[in-house]
Amino acid sequence: MTPGIDRGLTGRQPKAVQSALAILEVVARAGAGVTAKEVAEELALPPATTYRLLNLLVGEDYLVRLPDLHGFALGRKVAGLTGVSGPVPLSTAAREVVAELRGRVRAGVHLVLYTPTTLRCADVDPDHPLQAPELVERHLHASSAGKLLLAEQPDWQESLHPSRLHRVTARTVVRAAELDDELREIRRRGCAAQSGQLHEDVACVAVPVRSPAGVLVAAVLVSVRGPDPVAPVAYVEVVEEFARRLGPLLG
Amino acid sequence: MARSTDVRLPVRSPVAGLRRRRLSFLEVLAQSVSALAPSAAMVVVPSIVLVRSGSATLPAFVAATALVLLVGWCLTQFGRRMAAVGGTYSYTAKGLGPVGALVGGWALLVGYAAVAMSALVGSAIYLAGLLGLDPSPPVVAGLGTGLGVLATLFAIRGIQLSARIALALEVVSIALVLVVLGVLLLAPRGAPGTAAPVVDAPVHWGTVAVGVVLGVTAFMGFESAATLGVEARKPLVAVPRAVLWTPAVAGVLFFAAAAAQVVLLRAAPLDVLTSQVPVAELADRDGLGLLRRLLDLGIAASFFACVTGSTNALGRVLFSMAREGVLPAWLGRTHPRFETPHRALALVLPAVVGVPVVALALGAGPRAVLTGALTVSAFGYVLAYVLACLAMPLFLRRIGELTAVPLVGGLLAAGAGVLGLAAAMAGASLWGGQAMTVVFLAALLPGVAWALWLRWRAPERLRAVGVYDQATASSVLPGTVPAEPV
Repeated sequence: MTPGIDRGLTGRQPKAVQSALAILEVVARAGAGVTAKEVAEELALPPATTYRLLNLLVGEDYLVRLPDLHGFALGRKVAGLTGVSGPVPLSTAAREVVAELRGRVRAGVHLVLYTPTTLRCADVDPDHPLQAPELVERHLHASSAGKLLLAEQPDWQESLHPSRLHRVTARTVVRAAELDDELREIRRRGCAAQSGQLHEDVACVAVPVRSPAGVLVAAVLVSVRGPDPVAPVAYVEVVEEFARRLGPLLG
Repeated sequence: MARSTDVRLPVRSPVAGLRRRRLSFLEVLAQSVSALAPSAAMVVVPSIVLVRSGSATLPAFVAATALVLLVGWCLTQFGRRMAAVGGTYSYTAKGLGPVGALVGGWALLVGYAAVAMSALVGSAIYLAGLLGLDPSPPVVAGLGTGLGVLATLFAIRGIQLSARIALALEVVSIALVLVVLGVLLLAPRGAPGTAAPVVDAPVHWGTVAVGVVLGVTAFMGFESAATLGVEARKPLVAVPRAVLWTPAVAGVLFFAAAAAQVVLLRAAPLDVLTSQVPVAELADRDGLGLLRRLLDLGIAASFFACVTGSTNALGRVLFSMAREGVLPAWLGRTHPRFETPHRALALVLPAVVGVPVVALALGAGPRAVLTGALTVSAFGYVLAYVLACLAMPLFLRRIGELTAVPLVGGLLAAGAGVLGLAAAMAGASLWGGQAMTVVFLAALLPGVAWALWLRWRAPERLRAVGVYDQATASSVLPGTVPAEPV
C-alpha cells in the first residue's frame, strides 16, 4: 500500500472518531445484545450516522453482530486494546493440576494463558524454566504456543503481519505459505509442535486448554532440551488428560 | 436498557469448512469481475444495443450503469451486516423468509448455471476460431467439455487459484479489447457508411428502454463476490466494496467501448453492424487479421474466466442450501485439504457441460446456445436481484435499522427490475425471444415446487434458511456472551 497524502483530520472526521469511541463505550456499558436504535438514542446521534458507524466498527471486528443481526457485542479485537499487564492471576486449583502434571513428565511443563490475540506465560516450570518467556510471547510464529494461537485466528495475518515473520533461528518458519501449511496441520491434529524454531536445541509441544464452550483459553507447554525433535510429542496423550481438567478451571 | 440475556453463541460457524479469511480485496473483486465477463460484453453488447437504440445507445448505457449501481447499493445493505456464502439467496432469506429466498435462490442458481453454459460455449467458439477450427457443433461440444472440466478443477483446487487466474485473464482480455478498439480508432475512416442511419437513429423513450434492458444484461454476475463471505479478508468491508466497484468499473469500460463503436460503426457498411462481432469484422476488413486473432483470444479468455467465476458462485449457493438442510447434507461437505465445497462444485460440472452438449447434439447452433443461455441467465439474475432489493427494507426494518433512503432505494430498484423483467419476458428485446422465457420458467419451476413442498410437508427443513458466517463464541470479547452448550 502506498501511503496517502496526509491531509490531517478534516471536516467532521474528529467528530466521527469521537462518536465511534462513544459507541464502543455504550456497547461495553450496556452489554451484549444492545441494538442500533438504543445506541443512537443513548448518544443522541442521527440514526443513519449511528448505523454507518456501527457497520464500520463491525467491519473492523471491534464489534460483532449477534446471530439475530440486530444485537451488538464487543468483538474479540477489543481484548487487544487492553493488552496484558501485571501478574496473571491463576487459581490455586489450576496451579495444583499443573504441579501434578510436572510430577508425571520428565520435561519442562509450563502454562500459557491466551487472550483472543495474545499470550502470556503464566506459570513457568521452576525446575526446567523457559529460556526466554518474552520470546515465546513475542514471536508467535516460532513458538508452539504462538502457533496454536495463530491457528485459532480467523485470519492470522491480522495479529501478525507477514513482514514480522522474523528469523529467530535457522529453522524458523518465515514464509507465509509455509506457516499456513503448519497452521492447517495444527488445526487437523489439535496440538502444535515445533523444534529448533525459537531456540536451536529446544523442542516443544503446546496442547490446547479449552473452556467448556470450546474457546481456546490456555495451553500446556512441554519443552525438552536436546537433539530429539519429537521428544515432547511423546507426552501429548498424558498432557491432553490434564488439559481437559484445566478447561473448567480457566474458562 | 434491558438486555435480552438469552443470546448464546455457537462454537462453530454453520458454514465452517471453507478456507477462512484468505482472499485479498483484489481477489474478491476478481470473483465479481470474472462472473460479469467485461471484455466479452464490451465487444458484443454495444453493437446489439446500437442496432435497437441508435443514438440512444450511450444514454442507455449510462442509465443501465446507474440502475445496476442502485441494485448493488441495495445489496451492500446486507453485505455490510452479514458475511454470506449464498450471495443474494442468503440476503433474501433475511427479508422475505425461506420461501421467497428459495425462489430467489433458485433463480440465482439458474442465472449462474445458464451464464456458465453460455460462457462455456462462447469460450469454445472463440477458442476454435483461434485454433483455426470451424466452430461446428461437435468441435464446440468437445472443446467446451475440456474447458468445463478445467474450470471445475480450478474451482475445486481453491478459490484463490481460480480468482487469480480469472483476474489475470480479465486484465489481459480487457487490455486486448482496448488495444484493438484503439488501433481501429486510429486507422483512417471514410465517410459515414450504410450503417450510419441506424447508428444515428433518433432517440425515443422506447429505444432508450430497450437499450437499458439490454445494457443491464451486460452487468449480470456483478454481485457474485457476495458468495465469498467466509473466504474474504474483512468480508463486511471487501464484499460490499467489490459489489459497488465492479459495476462502476464495468460501466466506465462499457461506455468507452460503446462510444468507440458508435464512431467506428457509423463509418461501416450495414452488414458489419449486423454481423455477430462487428469489431472483429471491422478488423478483418481493415486487413488487420492479427487484431482479430487478439480479439478472439481476449474474448475466449474472458468467457473462460466467466465459467470459473460462475461455477465458484454456483457451488457456494448449493453449499449454503445443503448446510441449511434444504438440499442433501453431503453437498455441504468441503474438501479437507483444499477447503472448497468440492462436492457441490463437482455436481455443477455435468449440468453446465451437459445441457449445452445435449442442445448442440439436438441440432442447435453454437451461437444460438450462447445467446439463448445468456437470455435465460439474465431472467434468473434479475428475478434474484428484484427479490433481494425487495427484501432489503424488510430486513432493515426487522433489525430496527430502517431509514428513509434505503426504503426508497429498495423500492425503486425492485420496481425498475420488475419493469425490466416484464419487458424482457414479453420477448420484445432479448435474444431467442419468448422461447427463452418458456425455458426460464420451466427451469424455475422445480425450485418453486421444491420450496412449496418443503413449506407444506417439511417446514422444519426451512428453519435454517439464510445461514451465514455468523458470530461464534470466539469472535466476541471473552466473557461477554455465553456460548451454546456443546
